[in-house]
Amino acid sequence: MSQPRVRPPAKPVGGDPITASALGHQPESLQAFLRLYGTLWSHGIVDQPTKEMARIRNARIVDCVVCKNTRFAGPREQGLTEDIVDQIRDGFEASDLTPRQKAVLRWTDAFLSPEPVPDEALRQEMLRHFKPAELVELTAAISIFMGFSKIAVSLGGMPETLPIMVEKTPDWPQ
Amino acid sequence: MSWLPEQAPGSNPLERVYGLRPNLFEAWRDFAQLFWEKRLLDPVLLELVRLRVAQMHQAAFPLASRRPEARAAGLSEAKIAELDHWWRSPAFGATEQACLRFAEQFVLDAKGMTDEQARPVVQALGEPGTVALVEALAIFDGFGRFCRMLEIEPEDA
Repeated sequence: MSQPRVRPPAKPVGGDPITASALGHQPESLQAFLRLYGTLWSHGIVDQPTKEMARIRNARIVDCVVCKNTRFAGPREQGLTEDIVDQIRDGFEASDLTPRQKAVLRWTDAFLSPEPVPDEALRQEMLRHFKPAELVELTAAISIFMGFSKIAVSLGGMPETLPIMVEKTPDWPQ
Repeated sequence: MSWLPEQAPGSNPLERVYGLRPNLFEAWRDFAQLFWEKRLLDPVLLELVRLRVAQMHQAAFPLASRRPEARAAGLSEAKIAELDHWWRSPAFGATEQACLRFAEQFVLDAKGMTDEQARPVVQALGEPGTVALVEALAIFDGFGRFCRMLEIEPEDA
Protein backbone atom coordinates (compact mmCIF):
# COMPACT_ATOMS: atom_id res chain seq x y z
CA MET A 1 0.00 0.00 0.00
CA SER A 2 1.26 3.51 -0.80
CA GLN A 3 1.53 5.97 2.05
CA PRO A 4 -1.55 8.18 2.45
CA ARG A 5 -0.81 11.86 1.90
CA VAL A 6 -3.89 12.86 3.87
CA ARG A 7 -4.98 10.80 6.87
CA PRO A 8 -8.67 10.20 7.60
CA PRO A 9 -10.25 12.61 10.08
CA ALA A 10 -9.81 11.62 13.73
CA LYS A 11 -13.53 12.05 14.37
CA PRO A 12 -15.49 11.43 11.16
CA VAL A 13 -19.02 12.82 10.95
CA GLY A 14 -20.49 9.49 9.78
CA GLY A 15 -19.68 5.83 10.17
CA ASP A 16 -19.65 4.72 6.53
CA PRO A 17 -16.31 3.98 4.79
CA ILE A 18 -16.34 7.04 2.54
CA THR A 19 -17.11 9.49 5.35
CA ALA A 20 -14.40 7.83 7.42
CA SER A 21 -11.88 8.30 4.57
CA ALA A 22 -9.80 11.41 3.91
CA LEU A 23 -12.81 12.86 2.08
CA GLY A 24 -14.47 13.17 5.48
CA HIS A 25 -12.30 16.26 6.08
CA GLN A 26 -14.79 18.16 3.92
CA PRO A 27 -18.23 16.84 4.96
CA GLU A 28 -20.23 19.49 3.08
CA SER A 29 -18.53 18.91 -0.24
CA LEU A 30 -18.72 15.16 0.30
CA GLN A 31 -22.48 15.36 0.75
CA ALA A 32 -22.80 17.49 -2.38
CA PHE A 33 -20.68 15.00 -4.30
CA LEU A 34 -22.74 12.05 -3.07
CA ARG A 35 -25.91 13.82 -4.16
CA LEU A 36 -24.39 14.40 -7.61
CA TYR A 37 -23.24 10.78 -7.82
CA GLY A 38 -26.64 9.50 -6.70
CA THR A 39 -28.37 11.67 -9.29
CA LEU A 40 -26.09 10.33 -12.00
CA TRP A 41 -26.55 6.67 -11.14
CA SER A 42 -30.15 6.41 -9.96
CA HIS A 43 -31.93 9.42 -11.49
CA GLY A 44 -30.41 9.45 -14.96
CA ILE A 45 -31.54 8.57 -18.47
CA VAL A 46 -28.56 6.51 -19.66
CA ASP A 47 -28.73 2.82 -18.76
CA GLN A 48 -26.52 1.79 -15.85
CA PRO A 49 -24.45 -0.84 -17.74
CA THR A 50 -23.33 1.82 -20.21
CA LYS A 51 -22.20 4.15 -17.43
CA GLU A 52 -20.51 1.25 -15.64
CA MET A 53 -18.52 0.42 -18.77
CA ALA A 54 -17.29 4.01 -18.99
CA ARG A 55 -16.51 4.02 -15.26
CA ILE A 56 -14.42 0.86 -15.48
CA ARG A 57 -12.62 2.02 -18.63
CA ASN A 58 -11.72 5.24 -16.81
CA ALA A 59 -10.61 3.31 -13.70
CA ARG A 60 -8.25 1.18 -15.77
CA ILE A 61 -6.73 4.18 -17.55
CA VAL A 62 -6.31 6.31 -14.41
CA ASP A 63 -5.21 3.12 -12.62
CA CYS A 64 -7.30 3.51 -9.49
CA VAL A 65 -7.24 0.16 -7.69
CA VAL A 66 -10.41 0.83 -5.69
CA CYS A 67 -12.37 2.03 -8.75
CA LYS A 68 -11.10 -0.86 -10.89
CA ASN A 69 -12.29 -3.46 -8.42
CA THR A 70 -15.63 -1.93 -7.52
CA ARG A 71 -18.77 -3.13 -9.29
CA PHE A 72 -22.16 -1.55 -8.79
CA ALA A 73 -25.03 -3.96 -8.26
CA GLY A 74 -27.46 -2.29 -10.67
CA PRO A 75 -25.39 -2.75 -13.84
CA ARG A 76 -24.71 -6.38 -12.89
CA GLU A 77 -28.41 -7.05 -12.42
CA GLN A 78 -29.00 -5.44 -15.81
CA GLY A 79 -26.62 -7.80 -17.59
CA LEU A 80 -23.10 -6.40 -17.31
CA THR A 81 -21.26 -9.65 -16.63
CA GLU A 82 -17.58 -10.08 -15.78
CA ASP A 83 -17.13 -11.59 -19.25
CA ILE A 84 -18.09 -8.21 -20.69
CA VAL A 85 -16.05 -6.30 -18.11
CA ASP A 86 -12.98 -8.37 -19.04
CA GLN A 87 -13.18 -6.91 -22.55
CA ILE A 88 -12.96 -3.30 -21.36
CA ARG A 89 -9.24 -3.29 -22.03
CA ASP A 90 -6.77 -2.03 -24.59
CA GLY A 91 -7.52 -4.01 -27.71
CA PHE A 92 -11.28 -3.76 -27.16
CA GLU A 93 -11.74 -2.93 -30.84
CA ALA A 94 -11.08 -6.59 -31.67
CA SER A 95 -13.35 -7.87 -28.90
CA ASP A 96 -16.88 -9.24 -29.00
CA LEU A 97 -18.33 -6.03 -27.56
CA THR A 98 -21.23 -4.52 -29.47
CA PRO A 99 -20.69 -1.47 -31.73
CA ARG A 100 -22.50 0.67 -29.12
CA GLN A 101 -20.28 -0.61 -26.30
CA LYS A 102 -17.15 0.03 -28.36
CA ALA A 103 -18.37 3.53 -29.12
CA VAL A 104 -18.72 4.21 -25.38
CA LEU A 105 -15.13 3.11 -24.81
CA ARG A 106 -13.87 5.24 -27.72
CA TRP A 107 -15.74 8.20 -26.25
CA THR A 108 -14.20 7.56 -22.83
CA ASP A 109 -10.73 7.29 -24.31
CA ALA A 110 -11.21 10.55 -26.21
CA PHE A 111 -12.34 12.29 -23.03
CA LEU A 112 -9.29 11.09 -21.10
CA SER A 113 -6.79 11.87 -23.87
CA PRO A 114 -4.42 14.85 -23.70
CA GLU A 115 -6.42 16.53 -26.48
CA PRO A 116 -10.04 15.80 -25.51
CA VAL A 117 -11.66 16.64 -28.83
CA PRO A 118 -13.63 13.95 -30.70
CA ASP A 119 -13.30 13.84 -34.44
CA GLU A 120 -16.31 14.12 -36.71
CA ALA A 121 -16.58 10.36 -37.25
CA LEU A 122 -16.77 9.71 -33.51
CA ARG A 123 -19.32 12.48 -33.01
CA GLN A 124 -21.57 11.02 -35.68
CA GLU A 125 -21.13 7.53 -34.33
CA MET A 126 -22.16 8.64 -30.85
CA LEU A 127 -25.22 10.39 -32.24
CA ARG A 128 -26.25 7.15 -33.92
CA HIS A 129 -26.30 5.42 -30.53
CA PHE A 130 -27.31 8.22 -28.14
CA LYS A 131 -29.76 11.11 -28.03
CA PRO A 132 -28.11 14.48 -27.29
CA ALA A 133 -29.34 14.50 -23.69
CA GLU A 134 -27.95 10.99 -23.18
CA LEU A 135 -24.62 12.05 -24.63
CA VAL A 136 -24.46 14.99 -22.23
CA GLU A 137 -25.13 12.64 -19.33
CA LEU A 138 -22.54 10.12 -20.48
CA THR A 139 -19.91 12.83 -20.92
CA ALA A 140 -20.71 14.32 -17.51
CA ALA A 141 -20.52 10.81 -16.05
CA ILE A 142 -17.00 10.31 -17.39
CA SER A 143 -15.96 13.68 -15.97
CA ILE A 144 -17.21 12.60 -12.54
CA PHE A 145 -15.61 9.14 -12.76
CA MET A 146 -12.28 10.64 -13.81
CA GLY A 147 -12.38 13.22 -11.06
CA PHE A 148 -13.19 10.73 -8.33
CA SER A 149 -10.49 8.29 -9.39
CA LYS A 150 -7.88 11.04 -9.69
CA ILE A 151 -8.79 12.23 -6.20
CA ALA A 152 -8.29 8.71 -4.88
CA VAL A 153 -4.90 8.12 -6.52
CA SER A 154 -3.49 11.57 -5.79
CA LEU A 155 -4.29 11.33 -2.07
CA GLY A 156 -2.31 8.08 -1.86
CA GLY A 157 -2.87 5.25 0.60
CA MET A 158 -4.09 2.94 -2.15
CA PRO A 159 -3.66 -0.85 -1.75
CA GLU A 160 -1.73 -2.71 -4.44
CA THR A 161 -4.57 -5.15 -5.10
CA LEU A 162 -8.15 -5.73 -4.02
CA PRO A 163 -10.77 -8.39 -4.69
CA ILE A 164 -13.83 -7.50 -6.76
CA MET A 165 -16.27 -5.68 -4.47
CA VAL A 166 -19.95 -5.45 -5.40
CA GLU A 167 -21.48 -2.28 -3.94
CA LYS A 168 -24.97 -0.90 -3.82
CA THR A 169 -25.68 1.38 -6.78
CA PRO A 170 -25.29 4.99 -5.57
CA ASP A 171 -28.44 6.94 -4.84
CA TRP A 172 -29.14 10.16 -3.00
CA PRO A 173 -27.69 10.19 0.52
CA GLN A 174 -30.22 9.75 3.31
CA MET B 1 -21.56 26.58 -30.73
CA SER B 2 -21.88 22.97 -29.70
CA TRP B 3 -22.16 20.36 -32.43
CA LEU B 4 -25.01 18.67 -30.58
CA PRO B 5 -28.13 18.87 -32.75
CA GLU B 6 -30.38 19.80 -29.81
CA GLN B 7 -30.06 22.48 -27.20
CA ALA B 8 -31.92 23.30 -24.02
CA PRO B 9 -33.23 26.78 -23.21
CA GLY B 10 -30.57 28.81 -21.47
CA SER B 11 -28.80 32.14 -21.25
CA ASN B 12 -25.33 30.82 -22.11
CA PRO B 13 -23.71 27.93 -24.04
CA LEU B 14 -23.20 25.83 -20.90
CA GLU B 15 -26.84 26.06 -19.87
CA ARG B 16 -27.94 25.16 -23.39
CA VAL B 17 -25.84 21.98 -23.39
CA TYR B 18 -25.72 20.77 -19.77
CA GLY B 19 -29.31 21.93 -19.40
CA LEU B 20 -30.34 18.96 -21.56
CA ARG B 21 -29.89 17.02 -18.32
CA PRO B 22 -31.42 19.45 -15.84
CA ASN B 23 -31.32 17.45 -12.59
CA LEU B 24 -27.72 16.43 -13.21
CA PHE B 25 -26.74 19.98 -14.12
CA GLU B 26 -28.32 21.29 -10.93
CA ALA B 27 -26.51 18.72 -8.76
CA TRP B 28 -23.20 19.45 -10.51
CA ARG B 29 -23.62 23.20 -10.06
CA ASP B 30 -24.46 22.77 -6.38
CA PHE B 31 -21.24 20.79 -5.91
CA ALA B 32 -19.06 23.14 -7.94
CA GLN B 33 -20.45 26.31 -6.34
CA LEU B 34 -19.78 25.06 -2.83
CA PHE B 35 -16.05 25.68 -3.08
CA TRP B 36 -16.65 29.39 -3.68
CA GLU B 37 -19.68 29.91 -1.48
CA LYS B 38 -18.24 28.14 1.56
CA ARG B 39 -14.70 29.37 0.91
CA LEU B 40 -13.24 25.89 1.22
CA LEU B 41 -10.03 27.39 -0.19
CA ASP B 42 -8.66 30.88 -0.62
CA PRO B 43 -10.55 32.23 -3.70
CA VAL B 44 -7.41 33.62 -5.33
CA LEU B 45 -5.68 30.25 -5.10
CA LEU B 46 -8.81 28.48 -6.32
CA GLU B 47 -9.13 30.83 -9.30
CA LEU B 48 -5.48 30.42 -10.22
CA VAL B 49 -5.71 26.63 -10.36
CA ARG B 50 -9.08 26.84 -12.15
CA LEU B 51 -7.62 29.01 -14.88
CA ARG B 52 -4.39 27.02 -15.13
CA VAL B 53 -6.34 23.79 -15.66
CA ALA B 54 -8.46 25.54 -18.29
CA GLN B 55 -5.28 26.73 -20.01
CA MET B 56 -3.93 23.18 -20.09
CA HIS B 57 -7.12 22.01 -21.78
CA GLN B 58 -7.32 25.09 -24.03
CA ALA B 59 -10.90 25.28 -22.81
CA ALA B 60 -12.18 28.63 -24.00
CA PHE B 61 -15.39 28.66 -21.99
CA PRO B 62 -13.89 28.49 -18.49
CA LEU B 63 -10.97 30.66 -19.63
CA ALA B 64 -13.36 33.44 -20.62
CA SER B 65 -14.90 33.81 -17.17
CA ARG B 66 -13.61 35.29 -13.92
CA ARG B 67 -14.84 34.46 -10.45
CA PRO B 68 -15.95 37.59 -8.63
CA GLU B 69 -14.80 36.14 -5.30
CA ALA B 70 -11.21 36.05 -6.56
CA ARG B 71 -11.36 39.52 -8.03
CA ALA B 72 -12.78 40.86 -4.76
CA ALA B 73 -9.93 39.16 -2.93
CA GLY B 74 -7.40 41.03 -5.05
CA LEU B 75 -6.57 38.80 -8.03
CA SER B 76 -5.58 41.07 -10.90
CA GLU B 77 -5.57 40.51 -14.66
CA ALA B 78 -1.85 41.29 -14.59
CA LYS B 79 -1.24 38.27 -12.39
CA ILE B 80 -3.52 36.07 -14.50
CA ALA B 81 -1.45 37.08 -17.52
CA GLU B 82 1.57 35.52 -15.81
CA LEU B 83 -0.19 32.20 -15.28
CA ASP B 84 0.93 30.47 -18.46
CA HIS B 85 4.55 30.81 -17.32
CA TRP B 86 3.98 30.74 -13.55
CA TRP B 87 7.13 28.69 -12.87
CA ARG B 88 9.41 31.57 -13.89
CA SER B 89 7.24 34.42 -12.71
CA PRO B 90 7.90 36.28 -9.44
CA ALA B 91 4.16 37.00 -9.18
CA PHE B 92 3.43 33.70 -7.45
CA GLY B 93 4.20 32.81 -3.87
CA ALA B 94 5.46 29.45 -2.64
CA THR B 95 2.01 28.07 -1.82
CA GLU B 96 0.62 29.14 -5.18
CA GLN B 97 3.55 27.55 -6.98
CA ALA B 98 3.18 24.31 -5.03
CA CYS B 99 -0.53 24.16 -5.82
CA LEU B 100 -0.03 24.96 -9.50
CA ARG B 101 2.60 22.23 -9.76
CA PHE B 102 0.21 19.83 -8.02
CA ALA B 103 -2.63 20.88 -10.34
CA GLU B 104 -0.59 20.24 -13.47
CA GLN B 105 0.42 16.79 -12.28
CA PHE B 106 -3.21 16.03 -11.38
CA VAL B 107 -4.33 16.85 -14.91
CA LEU B 108 -1.49 15.12 -16.72
CA ASP B 109 -1.05 11.98 -14.62
CA ALA B 110 -2.59 11.88 -11.16
CA LYS B 111 -1.13 8.43 -10.49
CA GLY B 112 2.32 9.89 -11.08
CA MET B 113 1.92 12.40 -8.24
CA THR B 114 5.02 12.27 -6.03
CA ASP B 115 5.38 12.88 -2.32
CA GLU B 116 7.68 15.78 -3.20
CA GLN B 117 4.85 17.39 -5.16
CA ALA B 118 2.19 16.69 -2.55
CA ARG B 119 4.08 17.46 0.67
CA PRO B 120 4.33 21.27 0.28
CA VAL B 121 0.63 21.41 -0.57
CA VAL B 122 -0.39 19.46 2.54
CA GLN B 123 1.98 21.57 4.65
CA ALA B 124 0.53 24.81 3.31
CA LEU B 125 -3.16 23.95 3.14
CA GLY B 126 -3.48 21.34 5.87
CA GLU B 127 -5.37 18.08 5.36
CA PRO B 128 -8.86 19.62 4.92
CA GLY B 129 -7.46 22.19 2.50
CA THR B 130 -5.70 19.53 0.48
CA VAL B 131 -8.91 17.53 0.20
CA ALA B 132 -10.72 20.68 -0.96
CA LEU B 133 -7.99 21.29 -3.54
CA VAL B 134 -8.14 17.80 -5.06
CA GLU B 135 -11.93 17.94 -5.19
CA ALA B 136 -11.82 21.32 -6.91
CA LEU B 137 -9.21 20.04 -9.35
CA ALA B 138 -11.47 17.11 -10.17
CA ILE B 139 -14.24 19.55 -11.05
CA PHE B 140 -11.99 21.85 -13.12
CA ASP B 141 -10.27 19.02 -14.98
CA GLY B 142 -13.56 17.31 -15.77
CA PHE B 143 -15.24 20.54 -16.76
CA GLY B 144 -12.49 21.59 -19.17
CA ARG B 145 -12.65 18.24 -20.91
CA PHE B 146 -16.47 18.29 -20.93
CA CYS B 147 -16.41 21.68 -22.67
CA ARG B 148 -13.90 20.51 -25.27
CA MET B 149 -15.74 17.25 -26.00
CA LEU B 150 -19.10 18.95 -26.52
CA GLU B 151 -17.67 22.19 -27.97
CA ILE B 152 -19.02 24.53 -25.35
CA GLU B 153 -17.41 27.86 -26.18
CA PRO B 154 -18.03 31.51 -25.34
CA GLU B 155 -20.69 33.23 -27.43
CA ASP B 156 -18.18 35.45 -29.20
CA ALA B 157 -15.60 32.72 -29.93
